[in-house]
Amino acid sequence: MNKELEHRFVTELENNQNIVHKVCSLYTNNRDAHNDLFQEITIQLWKAYPKFRGDAKFSTWMYRVALNTAITLYRKSKKRVQTQDYDSVIFKIKTDEYDDTEEKQLKLMYNAVRQLGDIDKALVFLYLEDKDYAEISETLGITEVNARVKMNRVKNKLRTILNP
Amino acid sequence: MMDELELLKKDWQKKDDHLPKLSYDQIYKMIWKKSSSIVKWIFYISLIEFVFWAGINIIFSDPESMQELKAMHIYNTMMVLNFVNYAVILYFIYKFYKNYRKISFTDSSKKLMKTILDVKKTVTQYVWFNLIIFTITLVISIYGVFIYGPEGRQIIEAATQEGSETTFWIMIIIVSIVFTAVLLLLIWLFYKLLYGILLKRLKENYNELKKLEV
Repeated sequence: MNKELEHRFVTELENNQNIVHKVCSLYTNNRDAHNDLFQEITIQLWKAYPKFRGDAKFSTWMYRVALNTAITLYRKSKKRVQTQDYDSVIFKIKTDEYDDTEEKQLKLMYNAVRQLGDIDKALVFLYLEDKDYAEISETLGITEVNARVKMNRVKNKLRTILNP
Repeated sequence: MMDELELLKKDWQKKDDHLPKLSYDQIYKMIWKKSSSIVKWIFYISLIEFVFWAGINIIFSDPESMQELKAMHIYNTMMVLNFVNYAVILYFIYKFYKNYRKISFTDSSKKLMKTILDVKKTVTQYVWFNLIIFTITLVISIYGVFIYGPEGRQIIEAATQEGSETTFWIMIIIVSIVFTAVLLLLIWLFYKLLYGILLKRLKENYNELKKLEV
């Protein structure tokens, strides 16, 4: 029973690991921190797994646990995270793929997202993952209206960061 | 703003290929890491503690205090005790290290649970050993001071002159016991704090594993 559960969990996580990697990239600044957070999220997922009964999609459930873990960890080490070291996988933008202005714009956007608070980041993350408001609200445990209002505020915040 | 966010979204979706890819085994190992890091800390703390006490011992082992011990006729006993103490503590550190190695390479929850119990047992034994060796050292010191120490002799002489030697010895024994008990309690609290927190977390892990077992 236990072995079977382990196997099922690891297989599902292996197939969905991109979600966790993306969360890690958004909330950490370097490879070490990325790996640490991945590890922590894995442990939290595994701890919570026996309670996961499949009433939600595995991926939705993963988004929730991963973001919660990232937010809790981020809160604990807020002071440490503020270094400007954008060494993570996601934020390395390949030069040859974009023209100059677009690349510059993207870089600015990524930097702006990085400056957001932990919960705002989670919102943007789910938005970037192309989730609709129903799924965003389910993942973050807020109402759909609230999610919409919050997302609008985040957009305003991004605007302020980009055009101070 | 909307355009920029859309641009970001498009870019974000393309990132999938650049993400790290962990294998089944790598993920599998991560499930067990939590306990291993706690046990690693138990090992480190025991090392730090060892260095700390050994350091204190060396600092206070100046020729003068050695002379004092000799004068009290407890020098040899103390040296033997010290030797035994270090030998046993080194053995415990070795055991902590072995536990850590064992837990790092554990591949089943059954074995992990067993190792967690082993760790708990080792720590308890370690704390008990420290308490016992401390008591022995203290008792020998008190004995040395009163039988051979200059101040002790004076006190005993004064008490004999007063004519109440028995009462005096009873008093000495009671005071010594209380003194030892208080110190032991403090040391016990110190260990409870130092290792108790780690053991508690380990116990939580154990309970979680146990839940999965059924």
